[in-house]
Amino acid sequence: MAVNYDPNLIGRVFETTDPVEVKAERIRSFCEALGESSPQYAGGEVAPPAYAVTFRNGRHFFQHVPRFGRAGFDAGKDVEFVRPIRAGDKITLSSHVKEIYEKTGRTGTMVFVVVRSTLKNQNGEEVAHIDHRFMNRT
Amino acid sequence: MSTTLDLHTHSEASEDSRAPVEAYLNWIKLRRAERPLDGIVLTEHRQFNRNADYRHLEDKFGVMVLRASEVETNYGHVLVYGVNDDILKRFDFANVRLDAQELINEVARMGGIAVPCHPGRPNIGLYEHYQNKPSLENVIAVEVLNGGSRKGEDERSAELVQRYGYSAIGGSDSHLVSLIGLCATRFAAEIRSIDDLVQELKNGAYEPVDFRPRRKPVPHAEAVVTR
Amino acid sequence: MKNFADVQIGDTLGPVHQFISKDQCRNYARQCGLDAPRFTDDEGARKEGLPGMILPGNMSLGILSKLVTDWIGADGGARLVRLSTTYRVPVQPDRTLTLQGFITHATEAERTAEIDVWIENEDAERLVTGTATVQFDK
Repeated sequence: MAVNYDPNLIGRVFETTDPVEVKAERIRSFCEALGESSPQYAGGEVAPPAYAVTFRNGRHFFQHVPRFGRAGFDAGKDVEFVRPIRAGDKITLSSHVKEIYEKTGRTGTMVFVVVRSTLKNQNGEEVAHIDHRFMNRT
Repeated sequence: MSTTLDLHTHSEASEDSRAPVEAYLNWIKLRRAERPLDGIVLTEHRQFNRNADYRHLEDKFGVMVLRASEVETNYGHVLVYGVNDDILKRFDFANVRLDAQELINEVARMGGIAVPCHPGRPNIGLYEHYQNKPSLENVIAVEVLNGGSRKGEDERSAELVQRYGYSAIGGSDSHLVSLIGLCATRFAAEIRSIDDLVQELKNGAYEPVDFRPRRKPVPHAEAVVTR
Repeated sequence: MKNFADVQIGDTLGPVHQFISKDQCRNYARQCGLDAPRFTDDEGARKEGLPGMILPGNMSLGILSKLVTDWIGADGGARLVRLSTTYRVPVQPDRTLTLQGFITHATEAERTAEIDVWIENEDAERLVTGTATVQFDK
């Protein structure tokens, strides 16, 4: 039994976010929140790799993504770090639904929606690719 | 001559693993003193790759690689050994709502064996389903040692074996290279093929074996005060 | 400086024992604009069927990313290029977490190393598992 959704949804990019400027202060507070004290990151000039996952989709993106069942949870991510993010970078994010599938686990039947986001900087260079697995309990 | 096999493993063919088969075999070779395995059985989620050929890797590392599948049913997850064309024609392995009783009966009739795995796990294990549904018939064995179990789950599985007289197997349920072979099954007989394995699971002598290291107690670290 | 020639399959990262307080968890969530009650208060989390407050998935990803970048060190020679995570069991704050990694695979031609990483609780249950790829300078 397959999950019911519109197959035309897969691969369509609905919107690209407005550029978000990366501020050194934000990098520093991110480092502090994670207990990151390495001199290469704590100064705020270069962000630690995990900073890439803090950029959010536009508020309209999820209007296009079908909802399955109750509360959604973050089931995991697969992140490719292409180049470091630096203070002063202006980052845009564009996303599409890569895959939708169903499986069963400790918490019941779940539908997984995999959203692939690409982050680019102000020069149009790719910064990161993120496959985000959203898990919905049905 | 006995044979020790990890009967439950996932390679990068499963959507939730990135482990290459070659890296698994290399790890077994490196850790043979702690985890003395003769082979592994790949049990990819909801699929069976009939064309995969690991002979060159088996020769390179001296570790046997057999193929099976892990499917999802109304009584939880089930390992299917001896998958053949008849079974694949009869069941859609991608369906997460297979009928467990039908699967067990039909797989046996078609020459394989279906073994419920991690029965002590909530929702996807037999134990919980047996609380509110009739017990399944014709179950020969269940997995009592699972390398991914949380506290208490293997104990519930053992309780089930005790109560219903099932035979017991072990498997790592590994999704990561370094977790291969943490639990396995030791067979009294020599096993050289998937047919041997099915035969032994149905009629042979075997027991689960636990190679999980015992960790030292965790020291409590200092709390970091957030400003 | 990390050198590909020094990488041995079977080498370990950690174990590192790290206590994450509720305040740290809230602080991270606040920094990243995650305002769901499950990340900020026990009562709200319980209403969502959770045992209490949990760490955002991205925070676990950040902790594991740091395990790898600490291993690489500040002197360079290598870079974290990929990190995949699976959130198997919710991670609760006010606990001592154990972080660990094993080098499992190395590819000479690409000068990459694959590392298994995970977060365990006090009962040695693996809550978050992942794999990291480190690219060494050519």
